[in-house]
Amino acid sequence: MITNEKIDSFIKKIPPAPKILQTTLKLLNEGELIEAAKVAKEDLALSSYLRTLVNKPIYGFKNEVKDISQIFGILGVAKSQQAVYAYMVSLLSPSQWNFFKLNKNNFANLQAELAVNWQKITKYLKIENKDIQSAIALLPASIIVSEALFCEKKEDVELLRTTKDIDLNTILKRLCKKDLFDICEAIAIKWEMESVIGEIVQAASGVKPSEDIQTDALGKWMHLLLFYTLSKPVYIDAGLNDFISFNIEYVSDIYEDFATLMEIA
Amino acid sequence: MRAVIKNGIGVFHPQGFLDGNSSLSMLSIEDINATLHANVDMVLVSLKKVIFFNRNGLDAFVKLFQKVRSEKHITVGFCDYDEKKYNAITKFYKDEIIFSLFITQEVASLFASSFQNKSKNVLLYSEDKSQRTAIAIELHDNGHNPIIAQSLAEFEQKAKVESAYDVIIKDTFLGQTGQKVATRVTGNAIIYTVSSFLDAEIGSSFDINYHTNSLNVGFRLFIFDAYKVVSMNVHALNFFSKLASSSAEYNATICFVGMSFDKTPISFKETLEDSGIMFFNQMDDILQDKELLQELGASSAAVVKNKRTLNKVIVTELPNFIEATVGTIEMMTNSKAYKEAAKIDTIAIADSDDKIASSIGFYGDIDGMVILVFPVNIAKKACELLIGEETDDKELILDTLAELVNIVGGKVKTLLADEGYSVDITLPRTYSDIASLMEVAQNKKGVQVDLVFNDEKFLFFLTR
Repeated sequence: MITNEKIDSFIKKIPPAPKILQTTLKLLNEGELIEAAKVAKEDLALSSYLRTLVNKPIYGFKNEVKDISQIFGILGVAKSQQAVYAYMVSLLSPSQWNFFKLNKNNFANLQAELAVNWQKITKYLKIENKDIQSAIALLPASIIVSEALFCEKKEDVELLRTTKDIDLNTILKRLCKKDLFDICEAIAIKWEMESVIGEIVQAASGVKPSEDIQTDALGKWMHLLLFYTLSKPVYIDAGLNDFISFNIEYVSDIYEDFATLMEIA
Repeated sequence: MRAVIKNGIGVFHPQGFLDGNSSLSMLSIEDINATLHANVDMVLVSLKKVIFFNRNGLDAFVKLFQKVRSEKHITVGFCDYDEKKYNAITKFYKDEIIFSLFITQEVASLFASSFQNKSKNVLLYSEDKSQRTAIAIELHDNGHNPIIAQSLAEFEQKAKVESAYDVIIKDTFLGQTGQKVATRVTGNAIIYTVSSFLDAEIGSSFDINYHTNSLNVGFRLFIFDAYKVVSMNVHALNFFSKLASSSAEYNATICFVGMSFDKTPISFKETLEDSGIMFFNQMDDILQDKELLQELGASSAAVVKNKRTLNKVIVTELPNFIEATVGTIEMMTNSKAYKEAAKIDTIAIADSDDKIASSIGFYGDIDGMVILVFPVNIAKKACELLIGEETDDKELILDTLAELVNIVGGKVKTLLADEGYSVDITLPRTYSDIASLMEVAQNKKGVQVDLVFNDEKFLFFLTR
């Protein structure tokens, strides 16, 4: 169904981070927001993406924010870095989704919802490390990878799933000994993201707890946040709710805190 | 979301957070219709991967339960929950629970008529005394050995000795159980389970299409498990007499097992015997008697007078059947599968040692049966994706092979639909050795194709 050759070819086709993005991230890393904005402006697609992203209702700005310097200024270093990473991930998304019923707009909404709630979580956990704050940007890459690998096998997967409760991650793991999150980590390495980002996303799969206590705790929060978000009708309709398996036991010790933070009645 | 169907039980697996909005999205009209059309004895919703739900979230599934109950008369309910979830559900619905609650799927399967492992020692407890009794009766009726704890303290005390029981049940509630005539396949016989009062309702609860199609795909012995029947009236008598006459046209035999005539006129028995129905006291009187089985038609297909042969349509569609099989094997193994040789003849298996087989029937615009024969180690490879771990458990391999053949059947159905043929598929059957397969298939003429994947051979046989 899916072979290692196909996975390797997918990873190989991912271009390295464009020069402009690399420079923007480097300047953000140095705290040079104005300089970073100047460079980012040169990439019209990035500018457009950032404008659309921060003007989504979930960001809660009353007035439209247009200028990139203003956007970086409002977001600050960590959130700006996260937004640039989110843009990089969005570059991998297909022009036409076949396996999932998604489009450019609701994929961007998903990225925004995850990002805003992850900010809430990191704030609650008093985490200021900007790489950890950015880690959420990589998570939706698992959806893009699923789409890329399974889009031609939709009927086979549906048929298989009428016989067995099996998720895409398990199918991939059993067939290729590699799962969606290994591929996400490979993307993170290719883009020279900080290693902690890939590690948290691996733990967020819900099947690979990290030996590092903090990374594991963050993986739990991210796993739960993912399913909180994917339980919304628009993403259930898109077929995302069960693309990976939700591991309740993994997140049980943080659920009460999560429910309080997200104001779940 | 589609239900996963196994051993006659359809299970939905929602994930995450269930509220009024999300659960409506989880169940489309197509999902509900697919569930209604599935030939299952039980429909369940697993709450194993649901971390939060409210009443509105469950209501969408409860509406599905109501629809399924009213149209199919089968058992419906939730399963796989913890104590907290159980308390929440019972609090939400209080006295209006029309569905059942099974703490695990394993517990639910004890109440399913198609469940094959009987005689389980089951420790049970419920706060509600009437529930305790109802659960015990139902378990007993299904061939298990219930041990009732009369108090929570007694339950906890007994439950400490886990090894003494096969299954321990608590936090389980029996709503209305199935009234549909449940069907299971044992060896080459089809067993229908009937219960309580047999009256005109049998006409609607018995799936006559399934019965006719089973005759068409070669089943010749039908047993009514009637241990739980209290009495029968004249409408049911007429129904069974007609059923016997129509089945006789296929040389099929109908038997009743365990039927008591305490509250049914003995003259009914004579009438049914006149129409060809046979009566036995115990199921084992038939199933353990090989000679009798052969006599009753559950053995060789040679007893069939009018042997059904391959027809032009089936042969024309052969590439679709091969494609479905090859496609499924390729999907499950990531290996290239291909056809090696084909011939039209009776099935020929060169070396029958360490081989297992599975078959699935299809019926509708065209009908027939696909049989796959594998060496055990090749079956293991073919089922790797579904099993997920190394195993030598032959029962698990056979069980998984049935799932694989079910997928082949599903693919056949889709491919034939593309050609304008509408077919349904039967439950898959498995054969733990070639001898048991040959009892069914040895005189059947069909197309035999040798297929290969990973340089390993397996056999495909298409027959009617």
